[in-house]
Amino acid sequence: MAAVIEVGGLVKSWGGRTALRIPQLVLKAGSSYVLSGDNGAGKSTLLRIFAGLEPAQVERFAFEGRLLQLDRLPAEVRRQIGFVHQHSYMFSRSALANVEYGLRVRGTSRNERARLAHEALAWAGMAELAGAPAQRLSGGEQQRVALARVKVLSPRVYLLDEPTANLDADGRQRVIELIAQLAAADKVVLIACHDLEMINLPGVVRLHLENGSLQPGFGH
Amino acid sequence: MDFLDTTREAFRLLFSGDPTLWGIIWVSIKVSVLALMLAGPVAVAAGFVLAHVVFPGRRLLVILVQAFQSFPTVVVGLLLYLLLSRQGPLGALHLLFTQPAMVLGQMAIAFPVLAAYTLTAVQGADLRAHETAASLGAGRLRAAMTTLCEVRFGVMAAVFMGFGRIISEIGCSLMVGGNIAGLTRNIPTAIALETSKGEFAQGVALGIVLIALALAVNVALAAAQGQGGMRRAWQP
Repeated sequence: MAAVIEVGGLVKSWGGRTALRIPQLVLKAGSSYVLSGDNGAGKSTLLRIFAGLEPAQVERFAFEGRLLQLDRLPAEVRRQIGFVHQHSYMFSRSALANVEYGLRVRGTSRNERARLAHEALAWAGMAELAGAPAQRLSGGEQQRVALARVKVLSPRVYLLDEPTANLDADGRQRVIELIAQLAAADKVVLIACHDLEMINLPGVVRLHLENGSLQPGFGH
Repeated sequence: MDFLDTTREAFRLLFSGDPTLWGIIWVSIKVSVLALMLAGPVAVAAGFVLAHVVFPGRRLLVILVQAFQSFPTVVVGLLLYLLLSRQGPLGALHLLFTQPAMVLGQMAIAFPVLAAYTLTAVQGADLRAHETAASLGAGRLRAAMTTLCEVRFGVMAAVFMGFGRIISEIGCSLMVGGNIAGLTRNIPTAIALETSKGEFAQGVALGIVLIALALAVNVALAAAQGQGGMRRAWQP
């Protein structure tokens, strides 16, 4: 399978301390990756770096074979990378308007926007709550809206930071099912997580971070 | 004239549509609303940048903006007077004792109030709001607008506070406006100067209007905040 993201020589330091050092990481299309590791191992940081929310030193970064500067990704590449926070933030508008946000940014026409957003909400099992104020939804519902909000943009890469943290059993199950559906032949799903159930999803590549380094023997 | 008579006369002036009285009220509202519209967008943008962008000298600017909120308006008037007076650097514009001069003064007074309140509002915003917007593809300006929209009640409060400060200020309006009847005489200057000439009824009537305006602004703010203002904070 084709490499979607290739990183070489990634170093992230905080106040002189190296928080993350990744000599080489390749994320291939059609694969899901589960990034495990203790709190503070750097899971979130790595995802945030890929999402462009956190600066880092990177020697080499290629997206779909194109060599690029990670801190200055062109908009069309940045839009191929979807990110969901550990506790996703809901804009103080309806669930539907939340899902429409990215489409609005992209200048999608109003009708198309509504159609796609309704479709994505239905996918997430949130069709009935489309008009509800998103900030009033439960944690599990918010997480599903957040997944729909990213999926509607059909990015190439999904970066999910602890998507099941703090959800009850039912919410967790639903989110795991949705995540399994995100993985497709041409997509990359990278999940930071210590949810054992997710780590054992069939077909996933396991990555393990310890003290800021990827450990050998976990699929790499 | 006793107090009751004065009040009765004040209401008569108000409700009879006394042109002099309503002219003064109109000058006040026009000047303050114009000052707010001109200073507002820039001040809100400045507040956002101060809260959101790290750059050298930011701390100093934050301190200055906060300190200037309580800068005496009469000193703003004095500085503006020196700038606009015939020998001043901007004397050629012939703005002294005109409404534009009053607008300039009120802009200067409103700016730090608007910026400081916006700054506080944006600092209170959830950082993830901006990150979420950015990760969904929003550019800098769009993400900033989204963040401001998320804290719109705080920004609205900033605007109302700014209005409250300038609609009732007298020092600057008096210095650079000059209390010229029918031209630069606004509510505060009229109350201060006309009362001393024995125009009690007009003073009381204008006082009522000023209080009503202040109340209306606060009621409007409370109504705008509605449930949004009472909304429970996000909890992890």
